[in-house]
Amino acid sequence: MAENNGDTILELKDITKIFPGVKALDGVHFNLRKGEIHALMGENGAGKSTFIKVITGVHAAEEGKMFLEGKEVRFRGPKDAQEAGIAAVYQHPTSYPTLSVTENIFMGHEKLSGRMIQWKQMNADAQELLDRLDADFKPTDEVGALSVAQQQMVEIAKALSMDAKIIILDEPTASLTANESEKLYGIVEKLRDEGKSIIFISHRFEDMYRLASRVTVFRDSRYIGTYDVNGISNEDLIKAMVGREIKDMYPKEKVEIGDVVLKAENLSRTGFFKNVSLEVRAGEIVGLTGLVGAGRTEVMETVCGITQADTGRILLNGKEFNPVNPKTAMDAGIVLLPEDRQKEGLILTWGLGRNVTLPIQEDVAKNGMNNEAKEREISKKYLEDVDTKAVTIFQPANSLSGGNQQKVVVAKALAEDGVKGMKVIIMDEPTKGIDVGAKAEIYSIMVDLAKKGFAIVMISSEMPEIIGMCDRIYVMCSGRMTGCLERNEATQERILELAMAESKEVSA
Amino acid sequence: MAGKSGREISASKAVSLKDRLLTWEGALVLVLIGVQIFGLVISDNYNAVNVLREMPKYLAEIFMLFGMGYILILGDIDISVGSIVCLSATMACFAGNGGAPFAVVIFVPMIVGLLCGMLNGLIATKFTELPTMIVTLGTQIIFRGIAEVSLGSGGSVSMKDQSGLIAMSKKIGPFPLSFFFVIIAAVIFITIANRSTFGRKLYAIGSNRTAAYYAGIAVQKCRFICYALLGFLAGVCGLFLLASLYGANTTTGNGFEMEVIAMCVFGGIATTGGKGNLIGGFIAAFVIVCLRIALGQRNINTQVILVVIGAMLIVSVLIPAISAAITKNKKRKAV
Repeated sequence: MAENNGDTILELKDITKIFPGVKALDGVHFNLRKGEIHALMGENGAGKSTFIKVITGVHAAEEGKMFLEGKEVRFRGPKDAQEAGIAAVYQHPTSYPTLSVTENIFMGHEKLSGRMIQWKQMNADAQELLDRLDADFKPTDEVGALSVAQQQMVEIAKALSMDAKIIILDEPTASLTANESEKLYGIVEKLRDEGKSIIFISHRFEDMYRLASRVTVFRDSRYIGTYDVNGISNEDLIKAMVGREIKDMYPKEKVEIGDVVLKAENLSRTGFFKNVSLEVRAGEIVGLTGLVGAGRTEVMETVCGITQADTGRILLNGKEFNPVNPKTAMDAGIVLLPEDRQKEGLILTWGLGRNVTLPIQEDVAKNGMNNEAKEREISKKYLEDVDTKAVTIFQPANSLSGGNQQKVVVAKALAEDGVKGMKVIIMDEPTKGIDVGAKAEIYSIMVDLAKKGFAIVMISSEMPEIIGMCDRIYVMCSGRMTGCLERNEATQERILELAMAESKEVSA
Repeated sequence: MAGKSGREISASKAVSLKDRLLTWEGALVLVLIGVQIFGLVISDNYNAVNVLREMPKYLAEIFMLFGMGYILILGDIDISVGSIVCLSATMACFAGNGGAPFAVVIFVPMIVGLLCGMLNGLIATKFTELPTMIVTLGTQIIFRGIAEVSLGSGGSVSMKDQSGLIAMSKKIGPFPLSFFFVIIAAVIFITIANRSTFGRKLYAIGSNRTAAYYAGIAVQKCRFICYALLGFLAGVCGLFLLASLYGANTTTGNGFEMEVIAMCVFGGIATTGGKGNLIGGFIAAFVIVCLRIALGQRNINTQVILVVIGAMLIVSVLIPAISAAITKNKKRKAV
């Protein structure tokens, strides 16, 4: 934990932030050097977001001091922080989607001549900033039509346009594909080389190893330590973040593989995917990967009855099966953990219990009337089984963190299995945006399900978990199945090669 | 895979009397009592017998309250019901005057209403991208247009053989017959909304339509059923309206849709879907009816009564916002 005050640009000491009833930050420290990329890590709820809001002037800390280039500063609002040269870029950029790139970049600090906006000048300046970032879009494009990665670039350009010295990136890679992340890495490194200081928040270890020189860890609102990235092992870092040792991140076990349960033959849906075939056996965990937009989710949605394929057939236990809506798929024993748990998986304003029993309310009902007592019993059991951090089954789902919300979605699937007996479970990005501790728990639930004889499909963009958890890995590219790898032959390189096999026609 | 931490999650819900009274429905009961006191103070004729005597002409509308409640809980809306009332009452008169026995005439408005509701449901579920406000605005104009064309130049029709309708407006003790029908309907529809799997589905759809669909709920089927049901209840409303008006004209049922929506919203059912309780809507309906009767007895102009009801409606939707602002302010001071 070396200190070097000579080139420290930003320093925070003993920062404490109290919200009614909770200490969101408890005497934390942070030290950022000039021209460094500094990773900030910790589980969901560790206090990273609050800390960032203190730096950017959104929240005022109750205690502690903040030094910018050696001088003590006190921000009264975000504008103070902006003027001091601090800018933040968020995972989901909060831009103005119907306005142009130029308008977004210069929002709040337009170039004026008298009272007139200098469009020509602004467009030229925007183009210059975009060139610096190697952006593949124009200043006149509408921001809403850009991808998330491109929107982040607009935000970065905005930070540059304000001459920010310190740029904070809050989980920028969470919604990006491997390719886009790679490009972002390049930009971040370039910014560092230009002398900017960068705080990088991420759940992904790859991000940290790839970019950062130092890493600061928070846990339960407290400062745990600052480490040189080269000097700390993966295990020690996880231990620092979680507070306990996770012996085996991927607890994959060998289970007896049974018969083919789910089989898809030449499924096609115009505009989404073509001639996709795959099979999943009982006890097997099968990965389905590829770049975002390769058609993975869409294929599985036809299996779950959410949309229908144009041609091809689906076989369940050898019998042809035509899921016309989610209900038919569920009744046949297929359960889906949707990718977007907030929009598709949960009713956020409802209590946890009602969420868990929503798909099975009719199975436990008596004469069409809800059996509330039975539902409470079931939801309590499964929520406890997956170790949800909740006080009561009546608290609304939006009161939980992302990881715990995902556990509620899992409990919902398990309750369905408990009541009706399911066969196939399809998990779409089951660990997206959740912390390392909760991830490990989701993985161990997957192994338990495999042991029970479930056929499991995991859609994921995260290579380590695909390689660590799956028996077989299907790879898709631009709506086509480009290959299938066995567990022992799967490497990041092979998967990426198949995921980007655009022009080559490979059949599974 | 038992919970590793052994953390217990509570599943018992103790609701105290205080909590029950602090709900919107509890507050509405107090408002209803307040309206009775108000009635007794301003009018010498305000008593149970007189209120019940004047009630039938308002009761008919309350049938639609339940269907509208379902539609609003779904996050949908239907503004065509006033026209359905008009069309169904008109058709019933034509059927009766054309010589159909009263046993048949009773079913005519219900069937007409059901068909109109099914048409609304069909359009709303087949073209899900259309805003239902606009769909039912269209059918509102169509249904009333059909009624007006059928009524011809006179613009009105009255039932020639009124014996059946007179029988319908009979009383059992001081209570009008329709009062019992409304109570029975209330018990059935409130139970379905609050206790049945179908009711739960409506709340799920209104709270998050996508998640409801993913959870295996037949979203469009539920919506269709609710539109058809509301149409049917508008037909029932048309029938009971005939029993107090003995005829129909081009303005029959005018503005009923807004009055029914107002009752629901005043009762705490949000137009954004997924929120509220039919019990609240039911109590709110009686608050409005009693207020009208009380003000009517003092010969206060109908238009003034509308102003009062409109103001009450706005205050009722403002209260949650105001209380939220107060809590927020308190928190800020506490920090």
